[in-house]
Amino acid sequence: MSILVNKNTKVLVQGITGKIGRAQTKYMLDAGTNIVAGVTPGKEGTKVYGIPVYDTVKEAKENHDIDASVLFVPASIARECVIEAAKNKIKLITLITEHTPVHDVMEMKSYIDKSDSLLIGPTTPGIISPGECKIGILPTNMFTPGSVGVISRSGTLSYEVSAILSDNNIGQSTVVGMGADLVAGTNLIDILKLFNSDKNTKLVVLIGEVGGSQEEDAAEYIKNEMNKPVVAYIAGGSAPDGKRMGHAGAIVEGGKGSAESKISHLTSSGVKVVSFLFEIPEVVKKLLQ
Amino acid sequence: MRLYEYEAKKIFYSNEIKIPKSKMVYSSKDAKKAVQEIGFPVVVKSQTLIGGRGKAGGIKIVDEIKDLEKTVEEILQLEIKGYKANGVLIEEKLNIKQELYCGITIDRTLGKAVIMISSEGGIDIETVANKDPDKIMKFMIDPTEEKFSYEFIEFVKKLDFSGKLLLKISNVVKKLFEIFNNYDCKIAEINPIVITDQNDVICADAVLEIDDSALFRHPNFKKRKLNSMNEREKHFNKKGATYVRLDGNIGLICSGAGLGMATMDLINNYENMSPANFLETGGGITEDLVFDCMELIIEIPDIKGILLNLYGGINPIHEGAKGVARAIKKHNLKIPIVAKALGNRQEETWKILEKSGVVVVKNFETRKAVETLAKILEGESV
Repeated sequence: MSILVNKNTKVLVQGITGKIGRAQTKYMLDAGTNIVAGVTPGKEGTKVYGIPVYDTVKEAKENHDIDASVLFVPASIARECVIEAAKNKIKLITLITEHTPVHDVMEMKSYIDKSDSLLIGPTTPGIISPGECKIGILPTNMFTPGSVGVISRSGTLSYEVSAILSDNNIGQSTVVGMGADLVAGTNLIDILKLFNSDKNTKLVVLIGEVGGSQEEDAAEYIKNEMNKPVVAYIAGGSAPDGKRMGHAGAIVEGGKGSAESKISHLTSSGVKVVSFLFEIPEVVKKLLQ
Repeated sequence: MRLYEYEAKKIFYSNEIKIPKSKMVYSSKDAKKAVQEIGFPVVVKSQTLIGGRGKAGGIKIVDEIKDLEKTVEEILQLEIKGYKANGVLIEEKLNIKQELYCGITIDRTLGKAVIMISSEGGIDIETVANKDPDKIMKFMIDPTEEKFSYEFIEFVKKLDFSGKLLLKISNVVKKLFEIFNNYDCKIAEINPIVITDQNDVICADAVLEIDDSALFRHPNFKKRKLNSMNEREKHFNKKGATYVRLDGNIGLICSGAGLGMATMDLINNYENMSPANFLETGGGITEDLVFDCMELIIEIPDIKGILLNLYGGINPIHEGAKGVARAIKKHNLKIPIVAKALGNRQEETWKILEKSGVVVVKNFETRKAVETLAKILEGESV
């Protein structure tokens, strides 16, 4: 078992004929992902690795059952591609694209929040339930099936922590990259909730980083609702401060956002916070005993 | 991309937000001319992109012509947190009755714009925010909904303004919100909005930060940004890489921000090592980009070693390896270079790196790579 994606998930690739879309489609197929269709406007009738390509999401949906879409589209059109997927009632939308304007992200998030869809990303490596399904660009050889859920705000650290766990014979139920942008389609709490009710996830590893207040919010949820152990690492404790200008950011965050703030909120909610990633396997093993 | 105050004020002016009479100058000679138009007393304001310039002496009031030259020269020479002024703004001094604050930014969790206003504006607004948060009104705005004038009036009315002042202030807030949206801003802030003794409402300062990812929609600012960069910075920018120079002795190239921060945490744990830079490539690795990264790092004085930490998810790390090899060959590099590179096409990557004399750490843990570099620097064999 897993969250969000499993071996039955039928996947659409938007932007399948581009250089990156094509290459990543191959990697996803190799990882066992059930890709049923692709979309690139103007390319209907062609195939990518045997997968039929359509002009629009609507036509792909008319011809196939689709549960999830993964997007490799230019940042300038990411907003409309996400909304196209949501309008066609695709439940899970994963936007890999980097450098999407934040005003576009706010707009798509607002749209998604009013729909039944879930948006992961942008700037996410995607989601993998090892051995079952991979949606996105995560390098498959880092992951092994198991019962630890991983949520990471950083893409590369989701690989690193999973690889370290795998190396210590600790498999993962599902690994979710939240996306690194200022605004994410989905917040940590949304994914924690899914892990909390997934009976095959026994423990959650949370990789946070400085900036924003998602970890502080997550700490509150963990304290009140979480019925399984959480281990966390916050990246950026020794990172230099960004150059600041204007007061608005500081007023909104209200003292949250620093590594210290996140670590103290999580610790007081019963989360075991480690100083370095390499400490995680030992802590996980102890908690799972 | 942060705009200078004078640039932001130009945008305000063209959007019918009132600003003080002002002129941007680059010498004390031009300052004298500017004063002839504006009239004493004037405020001389350093144009830098760093906050806290008032407290650092970058804003001075000049009452008489005899003090003008000296003050302008001082401010032109003044370094604030390492940055010199890009000219000074000569501005009419307003007769202040009251100072307000208005800031618009993004609530990262909700993904909505948040407008904040307070009737206690001025340089201590963050103190107000900490001690008396109720004195700052916050309004969340759904980005898909149009906002009407009456809503801004309702909003500003909570600060107990009435009559013409109410209309003037709510109009400024509305215009600022339009600028925030139309210019793809991450921050739009006026601190203070001045109410003068004549009950005029004038914006005495202006902060705008445009989202870099949206510069394709603002070609003028994109051009200005590119003009301010050298070729290498342009290349970095185009590829979406981030480079920050730090004080240490270990060069760092990482393929993600989180990975970069985690690697810095580990390096800082050693007494004789600290990061000389923060460099994350994002998903745009090419041979040339990594070659440029290498050239940038080896220029740093006192650099003792280089650590590469790369993942091949979307990144072709074997191409990155070619860039490393090219830089080593071109500059006949002898300093120790340790690489951890995992993911798609890792074996190919390792082969290229090892052939160039790079020590490749094949373990999953960044700790091992940092340890290896530390050992080499201490003369141990690995």
